[in-house]
Amino acid sequence: MASLREAALLEAQRCLYCGFCEAVCPTLLYGAHRGYGPRGRVSIALQLLAGKAPVSEEALASIYSCLMCRACTTKCPVSVNVAEIVRIIRILHNRGELLAKSPVRIAVRG
Amino acid sequence: MDINSILHIIAENTLRTGLPLPAPRDIAYHWAKPLNLPRSGSMFLYTGVMYQLMPYIKSFVAILERFEDSRLAKALRLAASPKLTGLARAAIKPERDEIELAESILTSIARLLARAGINYAYLYEDDMYTGVILYDMGLEEAFQEHAARVYERLRRRGAKKLITVDPHTTYMLRHVYPKYVDGFDIEVVNYLELLDEALAGRAQPAPRLWSGERVVVHDPCLYARALKLVKQPRRLLEHAGLTVLEPRRSGRMTYCCGGPIEALSPRLAGRIASTRLRELREKAPVIVTMCPICFVSFSRVAKNETIVDISIILSKTLRQDEEA
Ligand code: SF4
Ligand code: SF4
Repeated sequence: MASLREAALLEAQRCLYCGFCEAVCPTLLYGAHRGYGPRGRVSIALQLLAGKAPVSEEALASIYSCLMCRACTTKCPVSVNVAEIVRIIRILHNRGELLAKSPVRIAVRG
Repeated sequence: MDINSILHIIAENTLRTGLPLPAPRDIAYHWAKPLNLPRSGSMFLYTGVMYQLMPYIKSFVAILERFEDSRLAKALRLAASPKLTGLARAAIKPERDEIELAESILTSIARLLARAGINYAYLYEDDMYTGVILYDMGLEEAFQEHAARVYERLRRRGAKKLITVDPHTTYMLRHVYPKYVDGFDIEVVNYLELLDEALAGRAQPAPRLWSGERVVVHDPCLYARALKLVKQPRRLLEHAGLTVLEPRRSGRMTYCCGGPIEALSPRLAGRIASTRLRELREKAPVIVTMCPICFVSFSRVAKNETIVDISIILSKTLRQDEEA
């Protein structure tokens, strides 16, 4: 069985970065930056999985602000399961398996 | 407040008490005491304690909201975890009328099931929270441990089939538990599915005791996108005589209530809830919800809208029906 890390990586690598998902994401509307949308979450997940640099507070905010509502997947041409990618990143973060030391704080626009 | 501290309170509480927040243990089954539901059988009502937790969640979120980004939040971050949980216990003060409302929702559900001719037993002290927040927040080990305990209780009670009453518990038991708990083979049916089936099997049309009043429905994300539970609530409401209106985004394209991140960012959750509430309000002032998380989320930001759980509106029919 693939490890959680591999499962998240395989799923995230399927993303085409088309952005079709962004219009329906409730958090993107009020979040501080693109990381508060599905496409941003997938790209942050890939960076976190690559583990090259310590992760910023903002990257974690992107991961923890996802509602797991799955609206994005309904609009995605290849049905990327963003909610599951996010959940796996949370697991890895909670286990201390990511290069992430900062506390998590969610920023809201306006 | 720092998210890790909040998650810590939740995980620690769930493993120690079975509930995610400090609350009396009997909140799970207190509502059922006057009903004398049978204790043994093979099909059990399983509330998952989500409705019962509503007043506690609301109070907890109000505290977090007050302290979001404050000095106290910083202090809390530094506090050791037992102290943190103690603080939460002292601070969470649920409103009496909200507890009564949650209990009346469950009573309505129990009555609706009985009225539809469905025979079931109740789990009482074995009616447990599924650990949905642990699962969603990636507290994987804590979730696994908790889920195994829940299953053990269900197994000991001889449960073959469970009737669930909210989207999160339904999803967890139907799709997540079988992956996490060895040997999990319990069938899971949602009460709206059961009521809808019973309605279809009725020899006579159900009594229409509402006369075309207009309501707008809000589909919970999991019912609409993961559990294919969209038509059943509409059929039930229409059979009761209500006029069901659809918001701009409904069914599979529904829009989240913001509730799932209420504990992590009350502010962001509130913005999303207000946006959705405005959209619903465009259609009708009476908004029907089917999930305790949606209910809490909308009630936090509602002004002159009426938020009502589907079981209350369906059982109001029932009560008039019985009086007639
Ligand atoms: S699941 Fe997360 S990323 Fe996808 S639409 Fe919902 S909030 Fe946005
Ligand atoms: S719609 Fe799918 S493929 Fe396109 S950016 Fe979003 S997740 Fe990636």
